[in-house]
Formats: sequence, C-alpha cells, structure tokens
Amino acid sequence: MPLVTNFDTVIGLEIHVALLTESKFLCSCKTSFGAPPNSQCCPVCLGLPGTLPLINEKAVEYGAKAGLALGCEIHYFSRFDRKNYFYPDLPKAYQITQDAFPLCTNGFLEYYVDDQLFRTEITRIHLEEEAGKLIHSGQSIVDSEYSLVDYNRAGIPLIEIVTAPDIHHPKQARLFLEQLRLLMRYIGVSDTKMEEGSLRCDANISLKPKGSSVLGTKVEIKNLNSFRALERALEYEELRQSQVLSGGGVVRQESRTWDERAGKTMSMRSKGDAPDYRIFPEPDLPPLNLDPVWVELIAANVPELPLARLRRLERDYGLSRYDATFLVNYPEFCELFFQVAERGLGYEDVVNFLMGDYARLAREKGHLSAERISELLTLVDEGTISQGQAKEVLSSLFSSGLSPREIVQERGLEVVDDPGRLEPVIREVLAANPDLVRRLQDGETKLYGFFVGQVMRATQGKADPEVVHKLLRGELGK
Amino acid sequence: MFDLIDRQDVIRMARLARLELSEAEIDQYQQDLAGFVSSGRKLQQVDVSAVEGTSHAVVVTHELRKDEVAESLPQDLVLSTGPDVSDGFFRVPRIVEEQE
Amino acid sequence: MRQLAHMLDTRQATSREIVTRYLEQIAQQEPQLNAFITVDEDGALLQAEEADRRRAEGRALSPWDGIPIAVKDNISTAGLKTTCASRFLENYRPLFDATVVDNLRQAGLPIIGKTNLDEFAMGSSTEYSAYGVTRNPHDLSRVSGGSSGGSAAAVAAGEAPWALGTDTGGSIRQPASFCGVVGLKPTYGAVSRYGVVALAPSLDQVGPVATTVEDTAILFSLIAGPDRRDASSSEARPFQVPRWDEQFVTGLKIGVPEEFFGEGLDQEVEQAVRKCLAELESRGAVLVPISLATNEYAIDTYLTLVTAEASSCLARYDGVRYGTRVAAADSNTMFSKSRAAGFGSEVKRRIMLGTYVLSASHYEAYYEQAQKVRTLIKRDVLASFEEVDVVITPTTPTPAFRIGAKRNPLEMYLSDLFTAMANLSGIPAISVPCGKDSKGLPLGIQIMASHFQEELLFKVAYMVERGCL
Repeated sequence: MPLVTNFDTVIGLEIHVALLTESKFLCSCKTSFGAPPNSQCCPVCLGLPGTLPLINEKAVEYGAKAGLALGCEIHYFSRFDRKNYFYPDLPKAYQITQDAFPLCTNGFLEYYVDDQLFRTEITRIHLEEEAGKLIHSGQSIVDSEYSLVDYNRAGIPLIEIVTAPDIHHPKQARLFLEQLRLLMRYIGVSDTKMEEGSLRCDANISLKPKGSSVLGTKVEIKNLNSFRALERALEYEELRQSQVLSGGGVVRQESRTWDERAGKTMSMRSKGDAPDYRIFPEPDLPPLNLDPVWVELIAANVPELPLARLRRLERDYGLSRYDATFLVNYPEFCELFFQVAERGLGYEDVVNFLMGDYARLAREKGHLSAERISELLTLVDEGTISQGQAKEVLSSLFSSGLSPREIVQERGLEVVDDPGRLEPVIREVLAANPDLVRRLQDGETKLYGFFVGQVMRATQGKADPEVVHKLLRGELGK
Repeated sequence: MFDLIDRQDVIRMARLARLELSEAEIDQYQQDLAGFVSSGRKLQQVDVSAVEGTSHAVVVTHELRKDEVAESLPQDLVLSTGPDVSDGFFRVPRIVEEQE
Repeated sequence: MRQLAHMLDTRQATSREIVTRYLEQIAQQEPQLNAFITVDEDGALLQAEEADRRRAEGRALSPWDGIPIAVKDNISTAGLKTTCASRFLENYRPLFDATVVDNLRQAGLPIIGKTNLDEFAMGSSTEYSAYGVTRNPHDLSRVSGGSSGGSAAAVAAGEAPWALGTDTGGSIRQPASFCGVVGLKPTYGAVSRYGVVALAPSLDQVGPVATTVEDTAILFSLIAGPDRRDASSSEARPFQVPRWDEQFVTGLKIGVPEEFFGEGLDQEVEQAVRKCLAELESRGAVLVPISLATNEYAIDTYLTLVTAEASSCLARYDGVRYGTRVAAADSNTMFSKSRAAGFGSEVKRRIMLGTYVLSASHYEAYYEQAQKVRTLIKRDVLASFEEVDVVITPTTPTPAFRIGAKRNPLEMYLSDLFTAMANLSGIPAISVPCGKDSKGLPLGIQIMASHFQEELLFKVAYMVERGCL
C-alpha cells in the first residue's frame, strides 16, 4: 500500500516496444541486436541527403496485432508525421511518428494484482521509428567530454503504447508492465528485452488530494531500466511529491531521471518549457489506408491471451490461481502442461511436477519432451517407482537420451514390493537393533520412522513404503 | 512592421533551428520575418472552413514494403563521410540537455 | 538529339568526339558563365569510351547511348561531388546514385558535370549559390534564373545538349524562360525523387531541360516511371514521345487566365505571349478566357509550405555524419556553428521562416491555413481543366533581370508568381521559348495541363515551337 495517505497517486505510463520484424521500419537493414557499431545501416536509415522512407508491412501488421490484443479500435486511416528536434542519435533530425492520427486508440489491459482484478485503459498505440544509440565517454551524459553514436538501432520499428493516468500505486505499475510484456510475447510481436532496449518505459506521476477530481502537476520519470527501477522510482517520487505538497510547496512540472545507484530521481537539466517539436504531416509517405479484411485476418491470428488462458486453466482444469498463474507466465511450461495433461494424468500432479524440481532443471538445461515427462509421471502413477526415485530419473533425463522406462530398467530402479524379498530385510534390520525394537514396543513410536528408513536404505530406496509399513507392523506385532 | 516580430522570437527560432546568428543577422531576419508575416496575413483571411489541408500534391497508394532484409552498407563506408569517427562510431562532443 | 543519335549510329562521330566537343565548349564558356560546379572530364570521357565500345559491339543501351548530359548539383551522383551549391556539402560525395541518374546510366548517357544552382535549390536566380552566380548566356550582366540556372545556361550556351533540373516553385521553368530553352516540370510523382536532395518533398520534381521540345520529351521518357524506393512516385503510365501533328490544335481549348495578365507583367512579355496565342488561334485553337482567382494566394501559400518543409529537410545537416563541421565543446554549439558556417543567408532565412510557421503558437494560423488554401488552389486549377484542355500563361512576369537587382528577398519570391501554382496543385507545366524582347532577352510561355497529361503538353509545345519563335 502507498506510504502516503493524504493523497491519491495518479500514474500513467508511456511504453516503447520494439517490433520483431526482420528489417527496419523504413528501410531493409537487418534488425538483429549486438552487431558491430554502424554495420547495419544504409543511406535511408542514416538519413543521407536525398533518401526516402518506405514503410515495412510487417511493422504495421504487428502494430495492429498489438492493438487488437489490447482491445483497441484499429483505425483503417492513420497518418505519419514528422517530429522535429536535434539530437546526435537522430539522423534526420526528425522522427517519423504518428501524432495526429495514430493506428490504434481506446484499448485496455486487465490483470491481477494480489488476486484483485485491475483494468488499465490504453489511450493510444502508434507506430514510430527508433533512434540510434549513444555511448557516453563518462559516467553519465552530463560529465562526458564526448559521446559515441551507433546508428544500428536507428530506424527499428516501435510502437508507443500510452496508458491513461489509470494506475494508482507503484506496484500496480510494475505488474501492469509485466503483464503488458507478457502479452507482447504471447502475440509474438516483440521479444521485450529491457536490457536490449526492445522494451522501454517512461512514467508520469502526480499526486492529488485524496478524493479530489483535480489532477496534480505531473512529473515525468525517465531512465527506468528494469521493472524494479520502475517501482522504486515511482515509490521514491510518490514520497518526494507528498513531502513537497505536505510542506505547502508546489510540485514543478519537469522531467526527472532515475538514478539507480543513488536510489533517487533527479531533476534533468533545465527542461523548462515543453519542447517545440513543430510536428507536421510527413510529405514523403502517403497516409496508411488499411484493408478491413487484412485487419480481420490479423485478428484471427491473435492467440489465446494471458488472462483468457488463466481463466480457462482455472475453469476447465480446476487449477488454483497460483498454479494457473505460473503456467500463464511461462508459456513453454503451459504448452507442456496441455500436452501432458491430455494423456490422462491428474492435472494437479502435472502442474506440481512442472513447478517443482523440473522448473529449476528445465531453466538450466532446457525442456524435456511431453512424451518423456508423461512417461515419467505415469511410472510414478502406476507405482513402478516411488516419488524419490522419480527425482533421480528426472535428473538423468536431462543428460541422457533414454526414455524414463529405459533408465529405470537400466538402473534397476523398480520398486520392490514383493514381501518375499522385503521380509528378510526387515527381519535383519530388526535383529540388528534389538534395544531400539524394545524401546519402540515400550512406546517410543517415533522410532518407527528409523526402522522404515533403515529398510529403505538397505534396499537403495527401492522398497515400496506401503508394503514396508504393512510388513514392519506385522513383524513388530510378533 | 517590426513589432510584428519580437526580437526574442527570432532568437528562439534560431535556437530551435540550431543556427548561430550574429547581431546583424538577427536584425535582418527580424525584418524578413516581419515582411513575410505582414504579407502572409492575406492568407489568414481566406475562408477555409469547408476544406481539409493538402499534404500530398497527388495522392498515391502503394503496396507496403515486404519485410525482407537487404544488405546494409559496410561499416567503413558508413563512417567514410564522418568528420569525426572513432573505433566504429561517430563521435560528437558533450551532449548538453538544453532548453529549446 | 536525333541528329546526334544518328551520327553515333552511323559512326559519323564517336561518343568520345561528341563529349570532347562539349568539354571544349565548357572550357571556353565557363569563365564567363560559371554554369558548372563540377566538370567531370575524366569520368565523362571514360563513360564515352564505354559507350563507343558498346556501339561497336552492337549492344547500345539506347538510341542515346553516348550522348552526354549535365545534372543539377542537388541530384546525387555516386562518387561525384554533390554540393547543392552549399559550403556545408563542399566535399560530399554520395554513396549512391539518384534513381534518375541510374536511369541515365541505364540509357548510356555520360554525365559531363554537375550544374550550378541556388543553394539547396532555394532561389530564383542562382545568385544564392556558394560558388558564384551563373550568368545568362544571352546577356552576361543578367541572371540565368534559378534555382536550376546552371542547367538552363549550360544548355543554352551549348555546354551540354541537355540537362536535368529540379522544380519546386518554378525552378526549371523560370531559368528555361530566362535562357531561351525548354524546361518541363512533370506531374508530381511522375519522376522519382529518390536521391534528389529534398527542398520541399510535397512540391519537388526532377525535370528535363533541352533546346527543343522533342529533346525535352525524349529526356522525360528516360526518367519518368515508378520507383520502388519512392513512396510518392506514381504507378507506371504509358508515355510516348509524341510526333509533330499539324492538325493537333484544331479545336483545342486553351484557357487564358486573366489574373496572369495584370499589373506587374512586362509589356513585351505580354505582347509575345498574346502573339503566340493568336498564332495558335489562327491554327484552329479556341481561346477561352478563364479565371484562376486563387493565384492571388499562390506565392504566400507556396512560401509558407516550402519554407516549412525545407526547415525540416535541412535539419539533418548537423555535422555528425557528413558535411563541414565546426568544432565546439558541446554538440548543440557544434550544430549551430556548423550550420551557420555552412549555410548561406537565403537558406538561413528560409529555415527561420519555416521554423516560425511550424512553431506551436503559429502552426494553425500559418502552416495549417496554407495547407487548406493549397486545397482551394488545387481545386481551382483542376476545375479549369474541366472547361479547357490546357492553360497558357507567361512563364515569368519579366525577362532575366540584372545580377544584384533584387535586393529584397520578397521581391525575389515574386519570380514564382506564375509558376508556383503548378507545384501546389501537382500538375505538369512546361516553359517554351516564344521570342526575344527588344534587348534580345529570351521570353518564355508556359503551358499547363492536368495530372499526367505530359503528352498533351508536348504536343501543344510543338505548335508553339513551330509557330511562335
């Protein structure tokens, strides 16, 4: 819960998502990350004199897909504009974007925060091009003698998603962003890696007196490089603004940058008036006129989205919110779940299995096939091996190509449940510990476990615990 | 006519456009801007209530470009026109966030 | 051009000989004219030799293979300096050819040099070039017009058989008129703009300049056509270089707009144009008085839009990736100093104007308003073509003026009085010589037609050429 109680916190987010197209937004250069500097550039994305932009069809498709997944109205008519400003990472000294007529408006995202369902309105989504990358010679931009510019990223297609000022605490903002990222991955339009710059988020935050309908002065926060940073920065800013306001002061409208190390937001140097971008319609590009049939096809290709999947898992598979959330958050696990579950195993068992040791091992070493997982779970289900033995087999499955049955056979791991084989072992164990037997019979019932353990040890864990219990009771009864 | 354009306006335009002007130039452009504005007043009288603006002289509809990769320029060629390059990058002096 | 082609075809001359002849003319004329910024002697001769080789092996690329051409210096030529007549791009060598240059190369035309222009194509006299003015071959004390002054003068003086220019508000037609040659501004979108250094993308077009109408049409046929790299280029339209047709103007309806014959029009220009119209009438054309009332707003609308677009298009010249950089301790200062040093005063003026009309507090009243008035102008122009087939006007209000005569920039802008309308509405327009005035200065007549009616334009232009010189 927010630390401040006299104020309502109002947060809006501006998210930039890089689209996973093969080529850039306005030219045919490659979009892959990590190439040597200035090796994925051409006259167009460098803005060399005389060059002209050409819109990438797939970027439009992905933009529309994102809009559809977020319940937006897709505008068949949209237009490109020039946003003019000078910066070394901007080759044309203007960015081609959509200002007046964006591709999508009026959407929303629903998501859970601590089991409570929230809904955040999406005001608009539009297409625009990315700028290049700057590397500063010093620690930060302000104390660098020079900066280095790499234009590989210049021209990468982006969508800018703007939320309404609909979010009311920092944690909610983080969860929203996480869910948005998940959604983008579900529909396959972006790999949303903050560390690679394919997902960026700026936040706007203002405070208003509790219950008031008049919004306060908003502050923009930039340089948020992780989900944690988003939450922390908003928490910090919330506190800072409340202190200013409580002290009778006025919050200044400005942009502030988040300093991760210092743990605070800092005013950015003299950004007094709003910049004048002199936005006007892009003359080099005709307006975008989409065919409704084409948009329908894209809509038909939107897969089951996270919230819908969550509900389906709860409803049709009877999974708990917690378990269902795990599967929804990790689509690969969810795929396995569906595949394994249809082979007639208990849903709970499958989920528990996937969330257990398997999860850790799979993250390190990659997933197993649905077949092998099913087989393993079936072996336990039918009693051929115990849970404990299953763990051993599981580890082996990651390094061997054998099937679970083959591994069990190879290692002779089958459960021993033949009384004929177990009785001698039990008698031996009892004979070896006469004092403990006497103490157990006298009433120290917790020693019972010791004997079971000894039998398990003597049989390398292969003894069927139920049979051991039965036989042991029988022996002790004598 | 000079009061049509503030000297401050001129200075602000010059800053927006990243043009370093001498005092004489500021005076000259103040005069030129004023002349243009006074002449341009005529346009503002025109009744345009019934029309949309023209951004494209002849509207063309094209098929959008297919998402296919084409070869980029080699790095050395990209940098070949650069006044100051270093280790594969273009180099620029200190970037100061400035008020417009 | 057919003569030159014939000579090459019948081996009466080689391309090398032809190119050499033009180079000699250039060497002789340049000290007076200054029509070229760069003359590529070695390159042109090399290309000429290749052309000769091709012809010898029977694989000429076109009938015009080996005939040299001059190209305005705001059109990118790979490896060959493209300065836009600016200090900023003094040593800039493009990494690629403009599409139109590509077209020329595919037809086998050696590029003899890059012609002078007003800096970044901003101007009407070529006086704004950083490399000196281009003098009018008919009177060296006068301008050759602009911004394609170099191309027009080069062709008029016989330094090149033909040339490419660009036209944003009249920049091909006006110099063509001043120098007594033919110049066409094609329909917007008919010719690719890829590789042409942008001044105002919604108004710019590349066009041919030559001494005869037919040559102009031939050159147009070489460069017209869709280009995948230019989203504003229109789809393919068939164009045939028309043949002379004596009967052609019979019944042709020629619109004569009264607004173009009012105050400010030089008397001798008016006489020449009216005489030409009478000649056409005598051959069967029907003169229809029309009104293009919106022309009153053309210059102001044009100025608002061209400066706005130019201010944006020229922002990329910041000294980071190419161009003349002035060192400074911080980037913003570096930008401001480099641009101030690299740009001439007219360029700076237009950038300032454009920045003003686009700025937040003025956008609606200036830029948006101008865009809407543009719609009215376009409608007015297109409506006239429902009444008439072509519209004929003088190309410019006066013949070539003296160098240094137009001190006031606003005065200079009035040169576009009759030509800007075509750019604003996107229609094609051609300027054809129609005689000389009492001082021996060339006079030009302008013919306009509706979108993509270049064939019609050329046919009417033939008539003018035959009857009005």
